[in-house]
Amino acid sequence: MNELIAVSTGLFAGTITGIVPGAGVMVAMIVASPLLMHFDVLQLLLFYMSLASMVQFTGTIPAVYLGVPGETNSLPAVIEGTKFNKRKMAKLAIGICAVGSVLGSLVAVAITYGLLSVLVEHMTVFFSNATKFYLYIFIIVFCLLVYNKKNILVNLLLCAVGFMLSVPGESDISPDFRYTFGIEDLQFGIPLIPVLIGFLIVPTIAKMFSASNSNVFLPNIDIGFCKVIKYFRKKLILSSLRGSIIGYLCGFVPGVSTVLSTNASYSFEKKLHPNNPGKLLVSSETANNSGQFASMLPLLLIGIPITGSEIVLYSMLVDAGWSPFQFDNVANNADMIFRQIVPWFVVANIVGLIVAWPLARKILNVFANSKKYMIVILAVGMLLLNTYLGILDYRVWLYTVCLFVFSCIGLLIKKYETVPLIFMFILGNDIEGVFFRQMLI
Amino acid sequence: MKIKQTQGLIASIICAIIMIGLLVSENTQLGSSQAETPERITLINSGKAGGSFNARTQMYKEGLTAAGYNVQYENIGKISQAVKMFKEASEPTIMVYANNQVYKQDLFHTENNFIIAEYQQPLYVCRTNTSKDKTGVLTVAHGKGYDPALLTSLLGSDITLVPYKNSGAMLKGILGGDVDMMVNNQGKSFKYMKSGNGTCEASDVLPVMVATVIGTNIDVQKIRKVIFDITMDLKFIEYHTSRKLVRPTSSWQQELAFTQELEKGYEVK
Repeated sequence: MNELIAVSTGLFAGTITGIVPGAGVMVAMIVASPLLMHFDVLQLLLFYMSLASMVQFTGTIPAVYLGVPGETNSLPAVIEGTKFNKRKMAKLAIGICAVGSVLGSLVAVAITYGLLSVLVEHMTVFFSNATKFYLYIFIIVFCLLVYNKKNILVNLLLCAVGFMLSVPGESDISPDFRYTFGIEDLQFGIPLIPVLIGFLIVPTIAKMFSASNSNVFLPNIDIGFCKVIKYFRKKLILSSLRGSIIGYLCGFVPGVSTVLSTNASYSFEKKLHPNNPGKLLVSSETANNSGQFASMLPLLLIGIPITGSEIVLYSMLVDAGWSPFQFDNVANNADMIFRQIVPWFVVANIVGLIVAWPLARKILNVFANSKKYMIVILAVGMLLLNTYLGILDYRVWLYTVCLFVFSCIGLLIKKYETVPLIFMFILGNDIEGVFFRQMLI
Repeated sequence: MKIKQTQGLIASIICAIIMIGLLVSENTQLGSSQAETPERITLINSGKAGGSFNARTQMYKEGLTAAGYNVQYENIGKISQAVKMFKEASEPTIMVYANNQVYKQDLFHTENNFIIAEYQQPLYVCRTNTSKDKTGVLTVAHGKGYDPALLTSLLGSDITLVPYKNSGAMLKGILGGDVDMMVNNQGKSFKYMKSGNGTCEASDVLPVMVATVIGTNIDVQKIRKVIFDITMDLKFIEYHTSRKLVRPTSSWQQELAFTQELEKGYEVK
């Protein structure tokens, strides 16, 4: 029952997140945090998995119908999907994307099943400080090189600010409280939620406010389920498999993960079939889902989040008492992935298939027309959330002050991607500990 | 644009009203419940899922509920935050604690807060098989809360101390080959021995860890009896037996004196 609650809420959140332009998985995780606080580790993983999978499905809907990317990975879907829409074939595009997405997910599960036993056998390698050290260097380099149009200076500044915000309070290597400036509430560090709201949600709300999207639907022909499957099987299956494998491999790349999966697969397919929008669309959308599953594995196996939304998940998992991969639990964790997560992952994909295909246009109608209400609800909700969590944490004034300060800064820097800042804020203490130990060992 | 501004203003006013309402209702709730439910007790859980603090707190929760208390369960998950809440509590509050926390948390066991010493266990010093023939400086993993000066004075100066966040991180560190030795609690040391990568010995020089239950704003005598009865429950005894945890057999006064004596060791700087 608990698992069902987690999956269904994740699917619901994923449906809204995918359809509302500008809202990503990370925003959805923060909005849902009052609920997620009561979830255990498995429920959190299931919620995230359902949410992230559903977003990959529903993100395609506004991309194809309205030419607006529902989430950052949907750009190829915008380019190729609108070609279908103009030919009144939007329903075919949505159908093949949905089927391809399910196939991509299943291929990702199969590849993982084959690789996991090898990983489990060599698990102690992942416990070493040196492994974490090099992985963190890798992540920092990616933070510097990937975001904000590769502007290293901006990314460096964002990383530095994120790290500085992580410093007050307890560190991972010393029992003393530092940089608290006599404020007792700072002993427990700067709270996470105001940072996330200020640097992520406020700029998102501002962008949603200024963005205008047309809600004009073009007429399209109704194409049956069997016809879509037949078309997919005959013409697109190889592109879909290629997309799955490329997407899976790219899913492991920190920072860019599914964005790289989608675009790499799209570029590769474009070299093979430059004038076939069906193959291009399916290849990129399949890679999306395959990459999404792969991107979760470093977090599940070695406890290192590699995407922005995973950092938020990581922080919630740790609060729920999660300790990644205890050595006497290796078999149990592998078991957990395949017995408890994968079956729900398949369920989430089937629901995604239904939502993103037969119900696509109806859902889009509901959400696309209520944008301004959603903005108001989001803004009020975030203010209430911050206050509520502040009261629970006995630090309501610190939460309020932080929210105000970070929201002002967030608005000032709204044109920049703040993911490097969030990365360094959440992982800062762990990175410091790993680097410090590396010097000692 | 003006309409948007007005909408924003209205939204802000609604938020402010709701925020004030939330704060007021929180305070009212605390005040009224104190008067209506004299048997109410707050139980703070500072443990993480899977850890001993968490497991023990859960068992106390069940025991106190069975004993007729209205248990307010506060899942804090972080010892420093739990101690802050404990210190600031204005109603009956208890939590599981240990003598090795006092050095950092500045919350020492006294006659007024000490309920019982639940069990005691030595700290273990573990060493990897591969480092047995190693000469020169040895690297030793220790919890960040341990006093480095105390460890150096007890283990010798020919070591490099490597601080870790907690006992689980230390275990992973030694298994990953980061360090030659670790100073860890009994549970994690047993797990390490089970891995076959090294051996552990109970230290007779490092301070013994005493797991306690402490309380504030309580009738200590009354709650001590309730807590003692809970620890005599079969579930609790099985928990202690399965983890080879030694129960003290002396009176509470002697247990407190023993705990206070050990705490002096943690004051070394």
